[in-house]
Amino acid sequence: MPDMSAIANPQQRQFNPYAENGGTILAVAGADFTVIAGDTRQSEGYSIQTRYASKVFRLTDRAVLAVNGFAADGNMFVKKVKQRLEWYRHNHAKDMPLRSIARLIQTMLYAQRFFPYYVYNILGGIEEDGTGAVYSFDPVGSYEREACRAAGAAQSLLQPFLDNQIYFKNQTAARGYSHPAHLPLPDVLSIVIDSFTSATERHIEVGDGLEMYIVMAKGQTLPDAVTNLLPEELPSTGDGERVFVLKRDLKKD
Amino acid sequence: MFLTRSEYDRGVNTFSPEGRLFQVEYAIEAIKLGSTTVGIRTPEGVVLGVEKRVQSPLLEASSIEKIMEIDTHLGCAMSGLTADARTMVDHARVTSQNHAFTFDERIKVESVTQAVCDLALRFGESVHDEDAMMSRPFGVALLIGGVDELGPQLYHTDPSGTFVRYDAKAIGSGSEAAQSELQDKWHSQMTLREAQVLVLRVLKQVMEEKLDQHNVQLAQVTTDKGFHILDERALKEVIDTM
Repeated sequence: MPDMSAIANPQQRQFNPYAENGGTILAVAGADFTVIAGDTRQSEGYSIQTRYASKVFRLTDRAVLAVNGFAADGNMFVKKVKQRLEWYRHNHAKDMPLRSIARLIQTMLYAQRFFPYYVYNILGGIEEDGTGAVYSFDPVGSYEREACRAAGAAQSLLQPFLDNQIYFKNQTAARGYSHPAHLPLPDVLSIVIDSFTSATERHIEVGDGLEMYIVMAKGQTLPDAVTNLLPEELPSTGDGERVFVLKRDLKKD
Repeated sequence: MFLTRSEYDRGVNTFSPEGRLFQVEYAIEAIKLGSTTVGIRTPEGVVLGVEKRVQSPLLEASSIEKIMEIDTHLGCAMSGLTADARTMVDHARVTSQNHAFTFDERIKVESVTQAVCDLALRFGESVHDEDAMMSRPFGVALLIGGVDELGPQLYHTDPSGTFVRYDAKAIGSGSEAAQSELQDKWHSQMTLREAQVLVLRVLKQVMEEKLDQHNVQLAQVTTDKGFHILDERALKEVIDTM
């Protein structure tokens, strides 16, 4: 005899392991530098959990990772990537090259194919040939190298803007002129700052603070226009690539 | 039970009171019975050469395999119990492929060598419930040659799991004479062709039979072409220029 009360009153239970913590990240590659940026607001629904939670992390002298989505997964993922980088350094007596980090992130994400890290990753830095590079990932590890990418809450606001301003989509060059393949660092920084102020205006989950990491290729110095913004230089191990951080306030409403 | 002095050479996991592991030392002795194997590093690449002992005129010389590819940029030559080397080369190949899969780059020569040496030490009495492991030390020494971002490199590994980098190294039965010859003739700006000829000259000196394209094997790992074994025609060409 089946339990009639259970049939009369069906109940459903659900395991809900994920949250969406808002925020937005963005990266742009130049000829010999890369800018990786993210806002610092962390929210759930209409409440702000904190106005300062970093989403951008330096991994090596030439690699910076931005993580967006479910913050707990993101933090854990960054922790595990850093651990793998340390093991690699011990095993192979060198820092992991950027393209290798990109591939490692793919294998780490795909290893969780049936219980994924609920995060969108953007990896930026300097490639072994000295060029700036951006790699973007989906939560299960599909990745590609690009010149620029936005992800997170305001992706749909920012990516079309970047397509227009970085790739010059829908812009026709004046007769006899052509669009540059790469923008100089001051221009990129202006675009990044404008992107985040705009996203802050139009998206409730974006705001509070902005962190911009600048990775400069070996032998490159910051242009005066950028030095005047007083970026903080992070300590590096050698005389190779250099990493700078620029912080800005964003509106808190 | 009272252990007499000589009984320390039984177990693979027991040090003698003088601090020696006899089974490992005997394994190193086993290599000195093997055929002579030579490796030379040059700025252009690494050359590996082995003597094939063709014991019978009915033996197919081409079936003796003492130089093996690990990856496109890595090769290895062996001396000693060559059957043991198959296990090690297999491990090296898997390690190299795994590295390429996970990191999208060619593994460093030192890293594969380290992986092979890790395996070399993985012997002893297996514990119940554990995968079967090697019960004794490997009786083979390897010369691992390869090219990576640090340029061409040559490593020597032995059954104790020790590895050392060399500019030129000889192992096997004729290794003593061969090594001193290498010490005399090696110089830092050798061309690949000079290295090929030197490998053959050194082998010729220590071989009992007359050297020809059937009883030696030559391979090289170069920066642009990677690993390849010279076929008999190419080998004869080098022998003719000796």
